[in-house]
Amino acid sequence: MEPVVERLLKEVRARWIELALSMLSLAVFVAAWWTLHWYFEVQGSIYAEYVPSPGSVWDALWGLIDKADPYVGVYILDHVASSLERIALGFVLALALAIPAGLLMGRLRRPHAIGRPIVEVFRPIPPLAWIPIFLIIFGVFIGPVAIVFLGIFFPVLFNVMLGARSVDPTLVDAARTMGASRLALFEKVVFPYTIPYLMTGIKVGLGIGWMCIVAAEMVAAEGGGIGYFILAMAEFSAYEEMYAGMVIIGVLSALTTGVAGLIEGFVYKRMGMD
Amino acid sequence: MERKVLVAVAIAVAVVVIIGAYAATVLFRESKGGDVYYLRTAPANMAASLESGSVDAYIAWEPFVSEAVVGGTGEVLMWSDEVMPNHPCCVVAVSNDFIEGADGVELTQRFLKAHIEATEWMLDALEDPDGSNYTLLITLASEFTARNASIVEEALKHLEFRYQVDSQFISALEEFVDLYVETNQTTEEEIQDRGYSSVSDLVERYVNESYLEAAAGIQPSATILNPDDPIRLGYLLGDLHQLAQFVAADDRVLGGSESLFERYGVNVEPAAGAPYANGGIVMDNFAAGNVDIGYLGAPPALIKHIKGGVDVVLVAQANIEGSGLVVEVGSDIQSLEDLVNRTVATPGETSIQHLLLRIALEREGLDLVLKT
Repeated sequence: MEPVVERLLKEVRARWIELALSMLSLAVFVAAWWTLHWYFEVQGSIYAEYVPSPGSVWDALWGLIDKADPYVGVYILDHVASSLERIALGFVLALALAIPAGLLMGRLRRPHAIGRPIVEVFRPIPPLAWIPIFLIIFGVFIGPVAIVFLGIFFPVLFNVMLGARSVDPTLVDAARTMGASRLALFEKVVFPYTIPYLMTGIKVGLGIGWMCIVAAEMVAAEGGGIGYFILAMAEFSAYEEMYAGMVIIGVLSALTTGVAGLIEGFVYKRMGMD
Repeated sequence: MERKVLVAVAIAVAVVVIIGAYAATVLFRESKGGDVYYLRTAPANMAASLESGSVDAYIAWEPFVSEAVVGGTGEVLMWSDEVMPNHPCCVVAVSNDFIEGADGVELTQRFLKAHIEATEWMLDALEDPDGSNYTLLITLASEFTARNASIVEEALKHLEFRYQVDSQFISALEEFVDLYVETNQTTEEEIQDRGYSSVSDLVERYVNESYLEAAAGIQPSATILNPDDPIRLGYLLGDLHQLAQFVAADDRVLGGSESLFERYGVNVEPAAGAPYANGGIVMDNFAAGNVDIGYLGAPPALIKHIKGGVDVVLVAQANIEGSGLVVEVGSDIQSLEDLVNRTVATPGETSIQHLLLRIALEREGLDLVLKT
């Protein structure tokens, strides 16, 4: 344990200014938020309702942890579980399809020629535009999953394709000279080369995935989820709880991106890339 | 090798996330007894949802009840007046900013005069199904709701247009607020923070009958009081309960020369974005300053005033009763108890239909919970 603590302390000593600045920026944000609330409150403005104080949002957040909200009657963790479940499913499905498709399209001319026009047509369509029809076709559970799938699929596909295309030709030639088979070339050169691109795609995709799920749940609104929760709280004018829901999304989204970062670091280390 | 690691890690993370989420769900969930599930659904889609089997029942306002009945796919398990006889439903609310503005009081009274006349015209028309006014009423109702004549004709039998503010109205509103307090949706402190000493004080002051009383004395006007500055009217999409404002705006009712609004000298226009999907949105548009006068259900008008401080006052009723719980024809659901572990579509938690269903189920010892 000692060396870990020591390393941490060393880190803190080396970067304390940055740490202090990060803390300060958060503090300034909260202070600005509070000042805005206070200003509206003093003015007697209705906007004091819409911008509740940071403290009351904090209280609402803790209040939600151990009891169901009185409006919808569902525990916040149930909503979080619903959303996470959809995100995880959409994520796994998107990776399972986007990685092979991206590699194929990046390395081989014919798959590229086949896939490119379709990708170019569908990629610019925001996943949210699919919400109404997906909810009808796929229903209220798979529908949002499909939206998340689209949100994650294209960034991953594009990044993997880009990575596979930009493999240094000298590396490929060198491997070939050394007698690598096509499969070995793929496994030892092309795929490892695309991993940093893949990780970028995953991080971008997860961010979009969170946006998609919240929006889809607001429209579909059935089956719960954190987006449903936020909408329902707004309908009841329970704005503290609504903001608490938004904070939860922020934290969860940062956490999932953080986990992706951890995996990235782990993979890089295993592959000797850091 | 690297690939295997990556795939393994990705799958492991996904599995951990899913299992973790489920574990949390199970750990924190109460044990469930007599639960009836609900899904939030737009009333216009409810009959289709019932037919497709994605819900086992639905509760909606007219004409979406009679739509399934006339179409032969649904039958009514319970009318809303069986839960609470003569229950208030849609009300007319006015923004206090509007009342305090130029000619606000006068415009409110004139608007209400047209509302009263339109309501009485509808009641008279309904008295005589052979009269020409009845035919016109059905036409208007059909145009407003975009449903055919046989549907609206059936629907009109199950609601009662009423503008009067009576003691039954007041006591029903008190009952709603009491229920909100009882179920923790609001608290006595929250009501006191709004400057009301009690629930009855809240209802007494939130409902202001004086405009309606003064409206009785309003005479037809040769000129329009607000030619350039129309009253911005908020109302719900295809809600038959709110037909009065449609009747008041249509010049066929007075024989073609002018509408009731014009007769009493007011210029009325739909507010930006109207018709709205639910009463909560009407209240939000009041708060945003987009709506001057609005028709909406009593429960959202109450809860958004208490919790969101939306500064309006209730000046009249639009109708009483007129919602129903629909199941499929030949369904094995014959009572509320049969709904246990089944799914009911409701228009959303703030709606009167949701509230009445919750009350009805509670009397049977059942809970209404979101289907997750």
